[in-house]
Amino acid sequence: MKLVFNSQKSGVKSQKVFRAILFVGILIISCAPKEEKLPIFGQREVVGTDTVYHTIASFSFVDQDSVEITNTTFKDKIYVADFFFTSCRTICPIMKSQMLRVYEVTKDMPDVLLLSHTIDPEYDTVALLHDFAERLEVESNKWHFVTGLKDSIYKIAQTSYFATAMEDKSEPDGFIHSGAFLLIDKLGRIRGKYDGTKEEDVNRLIIDIKRLRQEL
Amino acid sequence: MNSASRVFLLFVFLVPFFLGCSKDSNSQSVKTQQYFVEGELLYTKHCSNCHRPSGKGLGRLYPPLAQSDYMKANFEDVICLMKYGKQGEIIVNGKSYNKSMPGIPSLTELEIAEIATYIYANWGNKQQLIEIQEVGKILEKCSK
Repeated sequence: MKLVFNSQKSGVKSQKVFRAILFVGILIISCAPKEEKLPIFGQREVVGTDTVYHTIASFSFVDQDSVEITNTTFKDKIYVADFFFTSCRTICPIMKSQMLRVYEVTKDMPDVLLLSHTIDPEYDTVALLHDFAERLEVESNKWHFVTGLKDSIYKIAQTSYFATAMEDKSEPDGFIHSGAFLLIDKLGRIRGKYDGTKEEDVNRLIIDIKRLRQEL
Repeated sequence: MNSASRVFLLFVFLVPFFLGCSKDSNSQSVKTQQYFVEGELLYTKHCSNCHRPSGKGLGRLYPPLAQSDYMKANFEDVICLMKYGKQGEIIVNGKSYNKSMPGIPSLTELEIAEIATYIYANWGNKQQLIEIQEVGKILEKCSK
């Protein structure tokens, strides 16, 4: 008799525990943030019923294999863009070692490309960029190092990628530029901005690339 | 004076020498540590962007300093290139590197000794204090 009573009591107890778990569980599920889409950077306009987002302007540069690189190169591709120059001793080597990590991770993702613009096109010729990429031991169809008209590079940096790039003779290497990595989606829109000199930020970029690939 | 007190006196006489010696080698190791710590700061400031904090370099762009056969075989050159830079091809651990490295003319003999102590002690190269005088002599040769 006593035994039955006991088991009844423990039954009530376990029911209470079950309810508590259920309650907490529902709370956790409802509070957990939904996997949100990455933000879209820049100004937007509403045209009729459509929202028009900021996209990368049209460009035409030449890469380390003398191949013309334009917006069409990145049609239906996600890409990561940055600005650097080969003779830079400050942040560029750090950026390149971090971009190399992105390269390694995305090696087997055919829809992801990398685009590094030189901001010192007078010195960084195609031949020099070719040598640079070769010494970095990377494939040129995956990671394009481009050069072109200085004004066009600076203009696209500032107005399309919102990255700083300019000549400044008072700087140790003669240029000011940001160490930003920009994540561009298949529609040419900026979806992320990261500090290419910081490992944690580049970790976030790598996660965001994977998230962006899931988007339809 | 009996022989026992003679031994005692001799002992008393010799003790300061031992103490002196051990103190000396102790200060030597403190000095090495100082050079190492200062060297690490200077390395981080002037060298690690390219040669990496790990000393492993980057691709065939920037040669490694960690386990580098070039560093073992070319001590004087390593001292000189910090100040005067390096042009042309070099072979490090069987790989060719050929990007010019700019020197840092403002580095003092002490700073070079500190960096050298750090980079040689840190990655399984030779482990010893590199003295300012030694650096001075080498720099004199390569500045000519």
